Amino acid sequence: MNRSPQPRNDRPPRFAHWLLTRLHPENTLEEVEGDLAELYDYWHHRAGRTQAILRYALNVLSVLPPFVRRRKQVKQQYEQPSSIHPVMIRNYLKIAFRNLQRNKGYTLINVAGLALSMTCGILIFTLVSHHLSYDNFHANADRMYRIVTEMHRDNIGYNHSVPSPLGKHFRDDYTFAEKVARIISADDQLITLRNGADIKKIKEEEGVAFTEPEFFDMFNFPLLEGDKKTALLEPNTAIMTERMAKKYFGDENPIGKTFWLNNRIVFRVTGILKDLPDNTDRKNEIFVSYPTLKAYDSWLANDIDGWGGIRDGVECYVQLRPGVSVAQVEGVMPAYVKKYRPTSKNVHHYKLQPLADIHFNAQYGGVMEKKNLWVLAIIGLFLLGTACVNFINLATAQALKRAKEVGVRKVLGGLKGQLFWQFISETGLITIVGVIVALGMAVLMLPVVNAFFHSQMTLNLFQNSRFVLFIVALGVAITFFAGSYPGLILAGFKPVVALKGKLSQQHIGGFNTRRTLIIAQFAISQVLIIGMLVIMYQMRYAKQADLGFDRAAIVMVPMGDDSTHTKMNTLRNELLRIKGVEKVSICYAAPASTNSWGNFVKVDNEETNFRTSIKSADDQYLSTFGLELAAGKNLFPADSAREFLVNETFLRKLNIKSPEAALGKLISANGGTMVAPIVGVVKDFHDASFHQEISPIILTTNKSDYSDYAIKLNVAQAKTTLAAIEKAWLEQHPDQLFAYQFVDESIAKFYETEDRILQLVEFFSLIAIFIGCLGLYGLMSFMAAQKTKEIGIRKVLGSSVSQILWIFGKEFSRLIGLAFLIAAPIAWWAMTNWLQGFQFHVQMEAWIFLAAIGSTLLIAALTIAYQATRAASVNPVKSLRSE
Amino acid sequence: MRRAFLGEFEEIVLLVVAACPAEAYGVTIWEDLQQQTGRSITMSAVHATLYRLEEKGFLSSTMGGATAERGGRRKRFFTLTALGVRALNDVQQVRSRLWQAIPPGKFQLIGG
Repeated sequence: MNRSPQPRNDRPPRFAHWLLTRLHPENTLEEVEGDLAELYDYWHHRAGRTQAILRYALNVLSVLPPFVRRRKQVKQQYEQPSSIHPVMIRNYLKIAFRNLQRNKGYTLINVAGLALSMTCGILIFTLVSHHLSYDNFHANADRMYRIVTEMHRDNIGYNHSVPSPLGKHFRDDYTFAEKVARIISADDQLITLRNGADIKKIKEEEGVAFTEPEFFDMFNFPLLEGDKKTALLEPNTAIMTERMAKKYFGDENPIGKTFWLNNRIVFRVTGILKDLPDNTDRKNEIFVSYPTLKAYDSWLANDIDGWGGIRDGVECYVQLRPGVSVAQVEGVMPAYVKKYRPTSKNVHHYKLQPLADIHFNAQYGGVMEKKNLWVLAIIGLFLLGTACVNFINLATAQALKRAKEVGVRKVLGGLKGQLFWQFISETGLITIVGVIVALGMAVLMLPVVNAFFHSQMTLNLFQNSRFVLFIVALGVAITFFAGSYPGLILAGFKPVVALKGKLSQQHIGGFNTRRTLIIAQFAISQVLIIGMLVIMYQMRYAKQADLGFDRAAIVMVPMGDDSTHTKMNTLRNELLRIKGVEKVSICYAAPASTNSWGNFVKVDNEETNFRTSIKSADDQYLSTFGLELAAGKNLFPADSAREFLVNETFLRKLNIKSPEAALGKLISANGGTMVAPIVGVVKDFHDASFHQEISPIILTTNKSDYSDYAIKLNVAQAKTTLAAIEKAWLEQHPDQLFAYQFVDESIAKFYETEDRILQLVEFFSLIAIFIGCLGLYGLMSFMAAQKTKEIGIRKVLGSSVSQILWIFGKEFSRLIGLAFLIAAPIAWWAMTNWLQGFQFHVQMEAWIFLAAIGSTLLIAALTIAYQATRAASVNPVKSLRSE
Repeated sequence: MRRAFLGEFEEIVLLVVAACPAEAYGVTIWEDLQQQTGRSITMSAVHATLYRLEEKGFLSSTMGGATAERGGRRKRFFTLTALGVRALNDVQQVRSRLWQAIPPGKFQLIGG
C-alpha cells in the first residue's frame, strides 16, 4: 500500500474529526489535524482499520481541552484599530452622510416618520411631567392634606368640600395639625371698580377666595408686597397676584386701592402676590380676608348653621405634625358628625386627602387622572416604537443595495463591530435630524396643546435639565433601537455571498416579519378609526337626539344678583314686549342642566329613598320648553310651592303604575317647608347628559328658587332680539353684567370631555395612519425592488399593467384585511365598554366597521399607487436587460 | 539570565529536533522519539511539549506549504533557536562536569 491519497472509506472517523475541529484550540488546529491524519494513515497501513480508528480516537481525546490549554498567541498578527476610534468615527459619519445624501427619498421618509413620532413623544413627555409636577413645590407637602367628605347613602358620593366650620373646630379641639387653613372660593364673580360715578364691570371667572392667613404659611405662594401674617387679618382686605393687579389697576400702585365684589362688599388691597405658577390647582388669583365671609354669605360664616350642608368651594387644608398618622385624624372625625349633625343619618365621613393626590383624583374633582397620563405615555411609547419598526423595515429593505459595499469592506479587513458602528452612526444622523425637526415642531405645536389641555406649559431647553436629559436619552434610545437590527443584519453578511450577489430576502429577515409589523400598525390604526367613528356617532346622537323638550332658540339669561320679585315681574313683562321674543319662563334651571337641587322628599308622609331633583319654574315652563303632560294639568301661577308636577320616572320609583293614580298625592319637600299635592305628570325628559339616568323630578312654583329667564326667540332675528333683551335687562340691573347662554350650547357642554377625547383620538388615528402608511410604503418599495424581474417576465409574457398592479393590490388588501380581523374585535370590545358609560347610547353597527376598513383601504391604495404604478409600467426591456 | 529548566522529556524532544536531518514536524519527531527511546509515546504529549518549548523560546516554528498527503493541511516545522542550543549545551556541560566528578574506579566498585 502506498501512502498517497486514501480511498474514501479510509478517512479518519468522522465524529472524532468533527470533535477535534470543534474543540481543539484554533491556532494549532491545522497542524494537529494534519499530524493526526498522517498518523491515522500510518496506523491504518501498519495495523489495520480498527486499530487506526481506535488510536485516532484516543489521540483526538488526548488533544482536547482540558488536556491542552488554549494558548496565548505569542504576538498578534495584525493590530485592529478600535471600532470607536476617533478616526473611525469620522469615517462612519462621512460614509453615513454620503449614503443619506444618495438616498434622499429614503432619508426623507425616515426623518419624517421619526420626527413625527418624536414630536408626539416630546409633547407627551412635557405634558406628563407638567402634570406630575402639580403642587409639588410647597414645603412639607408630604404632611399636607385636604379634608374631604365621603357621603354614604345608597351609594357613596365624594365631595372635595367639608362643612365650613369644620376647620375652625379641628384647629381648636385637636393638636394633630400644625396649621389649618380654610379657603372658600366663589367663582364667576362680578368685580367692579368705582371712580365717582364711573363704574367698570369685570366678570372674574375664577372669582375670589375667602382665605385664612395660615393658608399662605402652608402654601408656597410668596408675597411681593405686604405681610402675609397681617394682610388678610382684617375684614374687607384683599391680596391679589401681580397679574391681577395689572389687570385692574394698570401701572398704578395697587396697595390701598379698592374694588367691589358683586356691588355689595368693598375690599382694600393690602398685598401683592407673586404670580401663581402654572403647575398649581389654585386658579383664583384674588384672595380676600376670611372675616369678610360674614358679609358675603352669613350661612357659610355661621359656626353652627354651617354644619347643615356642604357648599362647593369650601376647602380645608391641614398640615399635620410630624408623626401624626392619617388614621389618627380620621378617627376623631366621626365625633363631629355626632355632635353637630345629630339629626342626619351619619351620611358624612370626613377623610384626609394627601396634597399630592388632589390633582389626580377625579372623585374629588382632580383635573387629570394618573391613569390617563399613563395611557398617554403608552401612546407616546407606541408611536416611537412604530416609527422605529418602520425604520427597521425600510433599512432592511435597503440592505440588499448595500450588500456589495459590506462585502468589499469585509474583504478589506473591516470587522463586524466596525460595520455595526457604521450603520448605527447612519441611524444616529437620521435620529439627530429627526430630533431637531421634532423639537421645532413641538415648539410650534405647544400652543395648540396648551389650548387643548387648558394649560400654560413651556418648552425651555436651557432651563429644564430633565427635559434635556429626556431629549438625549430619546435620541440615544431611538438610535439603538432602530439601528441595531439593520446594523447587525448588514454587518453579519458573509462577504463571499454578498459579493457574488447571492443574498436574498431570506438573509435580511423574512417578508413575514415585515408583514406582521405592517399588520400590527394597521390593526392599531383601525382600532382608532373605529373608536373615532363610534365616538362621533354617539356624540351626534347625544347632541341631536330628542331630549323630550325643545332646546332650539331658547336662551337662558341669569337674573341679576340684586333682583327682587318686582324687578323680576317687570323684566318679564318688558321681555315679552320685545319683538322676536316668543315666550318667557322664569325658572331655576333649564330642563337639562348641570345645576340641580336634590332632595329626599316624602310622599303622603312616607319617606323616599331616592334623590329627587326639584325644579322650580313658573306656569310658562312647560309651554316654553315644549314639555308634555301625561296626566293632570299644568301648574297654577303662584309664588310658592302650591302644587307639584312630577315626571314619569318619579312615579316609576314609587311603583305607581298609572299617571292618574299619582294625582292628588301629597309631597313634602325641603324638610317639610314645601308641602303640596301632585296636580300633573310630565312625560320624561332628559335632565342631564346621556351618561345619567333620568332623575325623578318634581316641578313647582317656588319663586325664591328662580334664577334664570328662559326666553324662546324667533330665530330669524335672534341678534337684534338679544340686543333688546340686554337693554331691557340692564335697565333693571344697571350695575350688573349681562350674560346669556343658549340651551343647546349648554347641553353640548355636557360632552366636553367626550369632545376632547374625540379630538385626541382623531389626532392619534391620523398619526397612526400616517406612520402605518410610511411602513406600507417601505414594504411596497421593498416588494417592487424584489419583483423587478418577475414583473418584466410577466409583461413579456403578456400581462397587462392592471394585472401587475393587482399583484401589489392583493398583497396590501390581504395585510389590511388581516389587520381588520384583529382590530374589529378589539375595537368592538373597547367601544362597547365605552358606550356602557352612557345610559343612553347608540349601538355598534356594521357600517362603522365597513367605513373603517374602507377608509383604510383607500388611504393605503393611495399610498402605494405611485410605487406600484411605477413598478408595473417599467419597460421590460430595461428590467430584464441586466443580469 | 536565569537558566531555563529543562525536563527530561523536553530535553529528549529538543535533542530529537536538533538531531533531525530534514525539517522536523509533529509526526517525524514522534517517530524518532519512539525509535530512540523505545517508549510508546502519545501524539498529544509530543505536541504539548513542542508548544511548551516554543513558548519557552527554545524552538521556533514556521508553517510549511500545503501538501497533498494529509488532506491539504500544512505542517508546522520546528527548528532549534539559539536559546535552545545554549540550553542543550548547558545541560551537556552540567552532565559532563558531573561525569568528570565521579571518582575513577567507583563504578567498578559498585559493579555496574
